[in-house]
Amino acid sequence: MDLKRSPRSLRRARSRDGLTRFAVFAAPGLLVYLALVLVPIGITTAYSFTNKNPFNPPTHWVGLDNLTSLVSDDEFRKALWNTIIITGIVTIVTNAGGLAIAMLLDRRGWLYNMLRSVFFVPVVLSAVVVSVIWQTILVDDGLLNSKLRQLGMSDPPGWLSNPDLALYTVSWVIAWQGIGFCVVIYLAGLQGIPQELHEAAAIDGCGPMMRFRHVTWPMLAPAVTINTVMSLIGGFKAYDQVQVLTNGGPGPGTTSTLAFQVVQTAFNGNHVGYASAMAVVMLVLVAAVSVIALGLLQKREVSS
Amino acid sequence: MNKPRVWLRPASALLAGLVFFLPIYLVLVNVFKDGSAIVSNPVGVPIPPTLDNIQGVLSRPDHLFWYGLVNSTEVTAISIIIITVISAMLGHFLARSTGVLAKVAMVALLCGLMVPPAVILTPLTDVLRALGLMSTVPGLILAYVGYYMPFGVFVFAGFVKTIPRELEEAAAIDGAGAFRVFWQVVFPLMRPASASVLIFLGVWIWNDFLNPLIILGPAAGTTVTVGIYRSIGEHQADFGSVFAFMFLATLPILVFYLAFQKQFVKGLTGGATKG
Amino acid sequence: MTRNPRLLSTVALAGALLLAGCTAGSTDTSTSKGGKATLTFLTFETPNLDAKYWDAAIARASAKVPGVTVKKLVSPSADRTGYAKQLDSTGQFPDIMIGLNPAGFAEAGKLAEWSDEDLENYIDPRANTYDGKVYQLPYATQATFVYYNKNDFAKAGIDTPPRTYKELLDASAKLKAKGINPFVVGGGGKDSWADMFPLICTVATDVYKETPDWLAQRRAGKVKFTDPAFVAAAQKVADLAEKGYIDRAGLSRSYADTEQAFRDGKGAMYPMGSWFSASADAKKPSFETGVFAWPTDHGSPALPGVTGGGMTVSSKASDVDLAKKWAKAFMEDEKNLNAAVKADALIIAIKGYTPPDNMGPVYEETVAAYRRAQSADGVVNSFSQETGDGSLPPGLADKAAAGVQKLLSGGMTASEFGAYMDSQWTKATR
Repeated sequence: MDLKRSPRSLRRARSRDGLTRFAVFAAPGLLVYLALVLVPIGITTAYSFTNKNPFNPPTHWVGLDNLTSLVSDDEFRKALWNTIIITGIVTIVTNAGGLAIAMLLDRRGWLYNMLRSVFFVPVVLSAVVVSVIWQTILVDDGLLNSKLRQLGMSDPPGWLSNPDLALYTVSWVIAWQGIGFCVVIYLAGLQGIPQELHEAAAIDGCGPMMRFRHVTWPMLAPAVTINTVMSLIGGFKAYDQVQVLTNGGPGPGTTSTLAFQVVQTAFNGNHVGYASAMAVVMLVLVAAVSVIALGLLQKREVSS
Repeated sequence: MNKPRVWLRPASALLAGLVFFLPIYLVLVNVFKDGSAIVSNPVGVPIPPTLDNIQGVLSRPDHLFWYGLVNSTEVTAISIIIITVISAMLGHFLARSTGVLAKVAMVALLCGLMVPPAVILTPLTDVLRALGLMSTVPGLILAYVGYYMPFGVFVFAGFVKTIPRELEEAAAIDGAGAFRVFWQVVFPLMRPASASVLIFLGVWIWNDFLNPLIILGPAAGTTVTVGIYRSIGEHQADFGSVFAFMFLATLPILVFYLAFQKQFVKGLTGGATKG
Repeated sequence: MTRNPRLLSTVALAGALLLAGCTAGSTDTSTSKGGKATLTFLTFETPNLDAKYWDAAIARASAKVPGVTVKKLVSPSADRTGYAKQLDSTGQFPDIMIGLNPAGFAEAGKLAEWSDEDLENYIDPRANTYDGKVYQLPYATQATFVYYNKNDFAKAGIDTPPRTYKELLDASAKLKAKGINPFVVGGGGKDSWADMFPLICTVATDVYKETPDWLAQRRAGKVKFTDPAFVAAAQKVADLAEKGYIDRAGLSRSYADTEQAFRDGKGAMYPMGSWFSASADAKKPSFETGVFAWPTDHGSPALPGVTGGGMTVSSKASDVDLAKKWAKAFMEDEKNLNAAVKADALIIAIKGYTPPDNMGPVYEETVAAYRRAQSADGVVNSFSQETGDGSLPPGLADKAAAGVQKLLSGGMTASEFGAYMDSQWTKATR
């Protein structure tokens, strides 16, 4: 805004104008967000200091008891660890896989157009649909293992029944659904890189690896930001896939995630207060992760 | 020396695509097979194809699919239009504001992106009841507007950065008010961003299951996605019926995506990817 | 610039739709003439109890109770108790529910009590009481049996079904020697509850037979899961898995896949609820199916069974008396009972009822086996499925199922399982 020319009265008019602008442009959205997301989060936070159990009234204030119990709760720690592993795997697999496929598809022609749509189809499916499909493939006598047996493997892995494997299987299913998103974003990023840059680098004697390191990768920074944030979201929220594929098992909490643990504790065990404390810890982590991730990634965007 | 290289890319792209597509292929072929064919040969091509599974879903005596389709379409269409409009305005406002409060609002919104809906569902219904909006369509839509606002703002705010500020200032000097400048100059320029917001919210709201079921209430909240859940329970091992319901329930949203796909990538990556 | 009017008209259209605010399918009701009260009824759908079954049954009940409009609600999955909890916590508790686990709801005063008069026609009216009160019509019994593949038994040279636990082990060894997998046990994915059946049987034979009110004693703190009796029951299950008699592939199988595995001949014995007999009769497998009760060490019967499963009515229903009247009409309608027996092989516990003549052989054999156990006073509670005062705290059945997965996969010993159950109990009752 050009403030140099503004006498004081005009500036006051501007600030009134700013208020109107806030009321018209920002207030509706912020109000709805406040009422229907922040207030519920506030209520959840309030519950986290109580022993609320709808089937066992009355509700008492218990202070920090829930939080201190959480610290020594093995199941919660396990769920936290599982969530971190899932989020990590999903973020790495979708980004690495998505970038590789995008570089493969970065050409013109009907084949590449069609394949682009193919990779995106899972993104529009519901997580439950995806989980049911993969379940038919991954169960011990499912399609994958019958194929492996045909190929001569006598004892194929129990993708969902082996406690050491199930968490990675669940991560894979989540990642599979997310890859298409990353492919599309990276493709857009790749196509936005001016051809001249590649050519200049080639003239300077850079091989393909060097060109990727010094031209492609820095230019993709905004795409990396979007994909990382979306993968973090997908990983952190993981619930449906766990519920359908493993129900948190096999064995106690083997594949339980934070979201799964919260819902189980609240709706199966009726411990709403305790579940709220979990939710609050989860929200704090989420906030920290998003702020850090966004800060780091945007720094990279600016510097590149 | 050069020849195999020419073939390497399309061949490996095709191979990757085929492997990736296999699970979807399984659904597609088994929708058109009867139960015994699914068990005996799940991977084979359906010859001759049967439409029994599809017909079974479409002609259910309780009209589960058709009622669900009407409800899903209504709720999804209204929600995404409202969210797009409101989050475009908010995203633009926050991207153009430099104050600390705008930064705080942005971070508060970002945190909302990762809150699993189940975590806030119960208190959310308390708020809606206090507003007198529980068990109503406006109540559900309002809940969606709040929950998905952060995503819209995230996309629009990113995109606004690619629109030159001078353009808005020029329009303002011409005497247009802020409202008109936004709708007549900025919003049309943000079409790609609108397309991505519409698509993603469309997909998410279409596929949501818990909110309609609880907020609209068990009697009215039947959407196609609830239908998928119910058909899984009712048919269990009868994959033909389950897959047919999934197929039909996904078709509208897939068509919606294909219609908008050209626009939406630009919207997410903004002009930023131009370098 | 030209987009503006178009956008406005879209918004206007959206607004109009919004104001209309109607949703399709909300008229999904069955009305009797001159409906005065509208009641909601929560059902669940399974392959046996499909939408058609419920609609017909509701219509029959409504025909008998004038002035009622019943709105059918359907649980999105078979876990209607979990769904009822969600509805309750969001202020939408249904008026009438079937097959709900009353635990929690009952103690919190959310359910209407059934009086002695209401329960006149029921054979075992006090099968499930909460502090002496009845909240669920105990209209049918379901028990856990071992269903077996007669072809496989013949192949392995087993002439009679095992009568003692030692005979069961011998039979398993013989089957295994012939390359036949002895037990089919499921419990993968969202159906982890399906892995409980062997443990339900061993707890019946090794714990409940001796101490029928064991769980009530656990609640009172007089016994523990680490006590020798319970550990012995868990040890039997662990041993079966260790010897390779229980196929570990089951840990990834959904409930439906598990039944299919037995039907496909992937194992000779299928410990399962009596409802399987309906499915075995309706769609006969390629072999003859037999049935026996999981044997005790010495041969006297200890059959795990639960009587209940009927209607519960909300104490906050818009018209509690009418709701109860309708619920009873639904429950006691002969055609409804016949349909339920056909669909789910229930053993009806209502006086004067006899099942239809054309029931299949597996159902008849199942009922006969139940009556034999009953006359020998050998029916005990069914661990993790029991309702009433002596039942598991909320959420513990799921934890037990998760523990059994680990027990079966060899990741936990029987005494570790007992300790795990004790710590989960402490957590659940905190």
